[in-house]
Amino acid sequence: MTEITIEQVEQAIDVASDTVIRNEIYFSDLDGLAGDGDFGTSLATGFKVIKADLPTLDKSAIGAMLLKISMLCSKHVGGSSGPIWGTGFMKAGMASKDKTSVSLEELAAMVNAAVEGIMARGGAKLGDKTLLDALIPIAEKMKELAPAGDAAAMLKAVTEVADKAIDETRNLVAHRGRASQVGERSANTPDPGIVGVATILYDWCKHYGVDYTPTAAELNR
Amino acid sequence: MKKFVNEPANFVPEFMKGVLLANPGLLEFIPEFQLIKRTDRPAENKVSVVQGSGSGHEPAHIMAVGPGMLSAACQGPVFAAPPVDACYETIKSVATDAGVLVLVNNYQGDRMAWDMACEMAEAEGIKVKQFIINDDVSVEDSLYTVGRRGVAGNFFVIKACGAAAEAGADLDTVLAVAEKVNANVRTMGVALTSCIPPAKGTAIFEIGDDEMEVGIGIHGEPGRRRDKIKNADAITDELFDAVAQDLPYTSGDRVALMINGLGGTPISELYVLYARAHERAEQAGLTVVRNYVGEYCTSLEMAGASLTLLKLDGQLEEYLDAPAEVAVRIF
Repeated sequence: MTEITIEQVEQAIDVASDTVIRNEIYFSDLDGLAGDGDFGTSLATGFKVIKADLPTLDKSAIGAMLLKISMLCSKHVGGSSGPIWGTGFMKAGMASKDKTSVSLEELAAMVNAAVEGIMARGGAKLGDKTLLDALIPIAEKMKELAPAGDAAAMLKAVTEVADKAIDETRNLVAHRGRASQVGERSANTPDPGIVGVATILYDWCKHYGVDYTPTAAELNR
Repeated sequence: MKKFVNEPANFVPEFMKGVLLANPGLLEFIPEFQLIKRTDRPAENKVSVVQGSGSGHEPAHIMAVGPGMLSAACQGPVFAAPPVDACYETIKSVATDAGVLVLVNNYQGDRMAWDMACEMAEAEGIKVKQFIINDDVSVEDSLYTVGRRGVAGNFFVIKACGAAAEAGADLDTVLAVAEKVNANVRTMGVALTSCIPPAKGTAIFEIGDDEMEVGIGIHGEPGRRRDKIKNADAITDELFDAVAQDLPYTSGDRVALMINGLGGTPISELYVLYARAHERAEQAGLTVVRNYVGEYCTSLEMAGASLTLLKLDGQLEEYLDAPAEVAVRIF
C-alpha cells in the first residue's frame, strides 16, 4: 500500500510555495483581467511566510502541521483567498489529525474534506468559475484512482483534470468572488484560482518526475 | 485629491491610535490585530458583541466600541475584510461563559473571515453565534455581496444588541434582538460624488457634475440607476418611498428615522433631507419617536446620504434609550 509520509507532505507544500511565490505577478495579472488584481500578491504574501516557517512548524502529525499552515493563511493571506485557502488546509488537517502518514485513500479523503469546506465557506458551486471548478473534479478523480495505489498516476490524472478546467471554464461568466462584479467581462479570461491550482500540480509533476504535457496556454508559458 | 495621510499603509493603524488616545481609559488598542476593545470587557456573565469589517466607514466599526455598544471590533484595510486571525482574536479578547455574538454586515469577504474565525473559536470551546445584517433595499445582489448589503441599519442592530447584552440577556436573547432589528430596518442611499480610497488616491467611479447614483453602496457599488441630480426634496422622496414600501411600514407604526451622511456632505444638508423625510413619515401615518441625523456609516468623503427607517416596539424603544458611550461625541 502506498503511504504518503509527513515529510513528503511538507516537501510538497514547500514546492507549492515556490510555485506561488514565483508566479506572484503572473497570477495577479490574470486576476486583473476580471478581478481586482491582488490574487497573486495575496497568495504569495502568505506562502512566503509558510515557506519560511515550514521547517520549524509542529510536525507531530500531518494534521497538526496543516492546521498551523491554515493559521498562517488566515493571518497572512489577504482578501477572500485567506479564508478559502485557510479553510482548505484546516479541513484537510482535521481529516488527518493524528496521522504521520496517509494512504492514497486517506489523502483523497483529506482533499475531499478541503473541497467541501471551501464550498461551504464561500457558497460557490461547480460552474461558478472559481477554483472549485478544478478542485471538485480533482477530489472525484482522487477517490476513483486511490485504490490502485499508484501515486504518480494519480498526480498525472489530477493535473490533467486541472489543466482541462482552465479551458473548460474560460468562457464561463463568474458568479462568485470579485470577478463576478464585472459580469460578462469575466468571459474569455481564465480564472486565476483554477490556473493557480493547475500550476501547482504541474510543478509537482516536474518536481517528482511525472511526465505530463499541458494543453492550456497558461501552463505552456 | 488632497488628504491627511502620512504613509498610506499606516493610515488605518494611525487613525485607530487617534481613536484610542482620544478615549483615555475607555478603550484598549491591540495593534497586531487592528483590534479595539472595551477595557472593562470581558465581563463575567455578560454576552460580548463584536464586529469588524473594512475601514473607511467610520464611525463604523471601531468607533462603535464602548459601554452599551460593541465589546470589541477589528478593522481591515480600507474597504477590505480583516484577516481571519484578527477576527478570531477579537472574539477571543472578549469571550465569556455567556458567549459572543458576532454581527456581520453582508459582504462576502467579511462573511468568510468571520465564519472561519467563529469555527476556530468554537474549536477552542468558545460559545459564539453569528448574525448577518442586510438592511440595504437598493439591489438584491451587488458587488461584494450575495443578497442585500449591510449599511447604516447596522448601528441600530449594535445599539439594541449592546443594550440587551449590558442588561444581562443571554446569547440566544441577544441574537433574537439582532434578528428583530434586522427584520424591521430598511435603508437606501444616494451619492453625488465618488469616494477616494487613500491608497488609490483617485475616484473609484466616474460620475458627472450633474448626476447622482441612486441606491449607492458604501464602497461605491452601483445602485439602481444613474440620473440627473434633482432637488433635495425629490431625492428624499425617492429614498423614502423605496424604503417605506419595502417592509412595508404602515400607518400607525412607531419608527426611528435616520439620515446618515456618507462622509462628504455638510450636516446642514443632512437636516434638509431630514426635514422632508420627517414630513413624509408623518404624511404616511408613521410616528417618528426617535431620530438620528449625522454620520454613522460613511464611505470616506463621498458626498451623499442614506435614509433608514426602523419599526419599533416597546422593547426596541427601551434598547435605543439605554445609556451608551462611544468614541463619537460632541461634548
